[in-house]
Amino acid sequence: MATIDKAPSTGGGGLAFIHDERFRSVFYQLVTGVVVAYVAWYLFDNTTRNLESRGMSSGFDFIWLTAGFDTDFTLIDYSAGHTYGRVFVVGMLNTLFVSLIAIVLATVLGFFMGIMRLSSNWLVSKMASAYVEILRNTPLLMQILFWYLGIFSLLPRPKQSLDMFGVGVSFLNNRGFYNPSPIFGEMMWATFVAIVVALVAAFTVRKWAKTRQAATGQQFPAVWAGLAIFIVLPSLVFLVTGSPMTWDVPSLQGFNFQGGARVPPAFLALLVALVIYHSAYIGESVRAGIQSVHRGQTEAAFSLGLRPGKTLSLVVIPQAMRAIIPPLISIWMNVVKNSSLAVAIGYPDVVALFMQTSLNQSGYAIEIVALTMLFYMTVSLTISGLLNIYNRRVQLRER
Amino acid sequence: MVAAAEPGISAQQPKEKVDPIRWLKENLFSTWYNVILTALGLYIIYLVAAGLYQWGIADAVWVAETRRECLDKNPNGACWAGVFAWFEGFIYGRYPLDERWRINFGVIVLVLWMVPLWLPRVQGKIGIAASVVAFYPFFAGYLFMGGDKSLFLQVMVSIAIVSFIGVIVHAVIGVTSGGSLARTLLRLTGVSGAGDKLQRNLLIIAALAAVAIAFMAQAQWEVPTVSWVRWGGLFLTLVISGIGITTALPAGIVLALGRRSQLPVIRVLCTTFIEVFRSVPLITILFMATTMFPLFLPEGFTLNKLVQVIVAVCLFAACYMAEIVRGGLQAIPKGQYEAAHAMGLGYWRMMGFIIMPQALKFMIPNIVGNLIGLLKDTTLVTIIGLFDILNMIQAASQDVPWRGLHKEPMFVGALIFFIICFSMSKYSQHLERKLNTDHR
Repeated sequence: MATIDKAPSTGGGGLAFIHDERFRSVFYQLVTGVVVAYVAWYLFDNTTRNLESRGMSSGFDFIWLTAGFDTDFTLIDYSAGHTYGRVFVVGMLNTLFVSLIAIVLATVLGFFMGIMRLSSNWLVSKMASAYVEILRNTPLLMQILFWYLGIFSLLPRPKQSLDMFGVGVSFLNNRGFYNPSPIFGEMMWATFVAIVVALVAAFTVRKWAKTRQAATGQQFPAVWAGLAIFIVLPSLVFLVTGSPMTWDVPSLQGFNFQGGARVPPAFLALLVALVIYHSAYIGESVRAGIQSVHRGQTEAAFSLGLRPGKTLSLVVIPQAMRAIIPPLISIWMNVVKNSSLAVAIGYPDVVALFMQTSLNQSGYAIEIVALTMLFYMTVSLTISGLLNIYNRRVQLRER
Repeated sequence: MVAAAEPGISAQQPKEKVDPIRWLKENLFSTWYNVILTALGLYIIYLVAAGLYQWGIADAVWVAETRRECLDKNPNGACWAGVFAWFEGFIYGRYPLDERWRINFGVIVLVLWMVPLWLPRVQGKIGIAASVVAFYPFFAGYLFMGGDKSLFLQVMVSIAIVSFIGVIVHAVIGVTSGGSLARTLLRLTGVSGAGDKLQRNLLIIAALAAVAIAFMAQAQWEVPTVSWVRWGGLFLTLVISGIGITTALPAGIVLALGRRSQLPVIRVLCTTFIEVFRSVPLITILFMATTMFPLFLPEGFTLNKLVQVIVAVCLFAACYMAEIVRGGLQAIPKGQYEAAHAMGLGYWRMMGFIIMPQALKFMIPNIVGNLIGLLKDTTLVTIIGLFDILNMIQAASQDVPWRGLHKEPMFVGALIFFIICFSMSKYSQHLERKLNTDHR
């Protein structure tokens, strides 16, 4: 703006236009655009020449080539005869699988830790704060390696498996964690439909109870009613259709377990490390969020006669969520991103399978790096998009 | 105390003497469930402390030649002998034994160079900080790498030596008399009465002469080459994260200003760059650096793996820093921008004198958090095969005499990281309180 004032004083000479803000802005943008385009072209040119001189081929056709290596853990059918495209899908599913479980568990543990840090009990709050500080100030990769090398790779052999829960259905050994897997019968669809119906019914009851309370002031135990519907209806359908589900229980045959669902030790180490590490961060943001709610809110709720439990659930938590959700989004995204450290302990996630093994084997560096990054960007954008929508709704409703 | 002296007007609460019994009752045993929680907490602390003591001290083996020997002496305790054998490796990596003094020397110079920043009576702290950032890397780079010096490097090393000695002398003068090096020099030569221009010219001549002398002196100084493949341990971790953070701050400021720019082309470019690098994990960027950078460069031009990694870490750190800077800029009320415009300040002066100094204050906790994060993330270079501290720790467990020794080195490594990161975060909290000028 100062530059516009100066323009007349130069007497309208031939160079006056360089003080014009509009000219400057176009000029700067043009220069930036040209420089960026030149750099991009330069890199592209170098790359094509390098590829040529090294005799490397490029293009995305390689995803139809046979990968020819096997992997330890897959969620879908996969063997060495499948293609690189299949490897990519297997890797993505494995990444999402471990991240999703880690996100749920870390959030639960993190809320618990955050509330512990706010405890009026000095010892409890100090212990929670020591937990947070120790975990936040040591590298995640070191923690993953510690869990893997120090704990989960030292498990006993299958013959001496640890019988988890002591009922002979879940076994932990150095080959992995074996659990019973469900086998669905033909009529199982009826139970799934019942679950959906029960969910819808429970939400309808809740909505009705809310409307009625707003209109008449009468309360209705909607949560309990909903829970009852959710348990009773599917169980009834399940029993009526003749219990169409059995469990495939793992059993020791020879040197190894057969049947059931298995996750490898690397999965357990990664999961435990991710959950514990991120629960410290979530705990911190939960604490900060709850503390950001002004004391006056609690006092006002008390003076209205609300009991402490109601105060927490109706006054403090809804307002605290507003401050908790944004950092929570980025921590969840960090969980997905940090699950890529799986590559250090050999859990076959997308980076280990695709960016490391497939890349070393096939040499399609640019395509593989691009695809992997695209996957992470899609996940990040999806998570932040969904939670931003939720966040906006919370913001609008509360203010 | 205040209340006793001025009974009527004390707004401050008198500081109560803490009664330990009452404190215990209020903070540990206020309700029946708090009693249970306290007991449970004490029990957990007892379990952890007793376990650690038993493993780490009571049953530990301190002197042994191999892990076998440790296990023979006591299979349940920690084998610290292996950690002692490898500790230097954790710090210096595979840097040649006879040359390790260079790392120590480099660290000592850096510390001495930066100490004046914390001395209250020393003037011109921004200049001192700038001299560290601008010249120390050349000095340290040569010190750590060694070998032949190019003419450019010789000049930069000379400047670094002069500015280091200058800063030290300046700091000594500052602490003892509160003056500055320049003024003392002028007074000693008896020209303090002369005109400003003459004084400035004389100082420049003095500085040039000093650089010339230093140039002569350093010409004979030569240290043997140490290839980057021998760099390792905590030293390498600190080199990578140090370079990362020093480039990240200026680059992050530029990116953040670009993202907030009114010019659409610049804004879109900066936003895309930041968002792409922030949405992918660091390990993918490292893999990209090691597999794709060789393809990007012209034929016959190769970067070593260390440089590739450092470039990747810098790009990554700059994008995170950019978001922190943007957050800081957004915290500045619009009135500040408008006031700066009203004073007739242009864009760069408004940013440099009005906005940035205020915004930086908001950013300190986040910048330190980012620094800690970067230091921790540097351990990822282990995965692509650089021998940083974590990889040295793993190397210890693969060394034949100590095969399988995982927990003890890991424990020590975690402790080193904890000490560094925890003290940084505590210092940033202290700084935040110190700089907090508004009275909320």
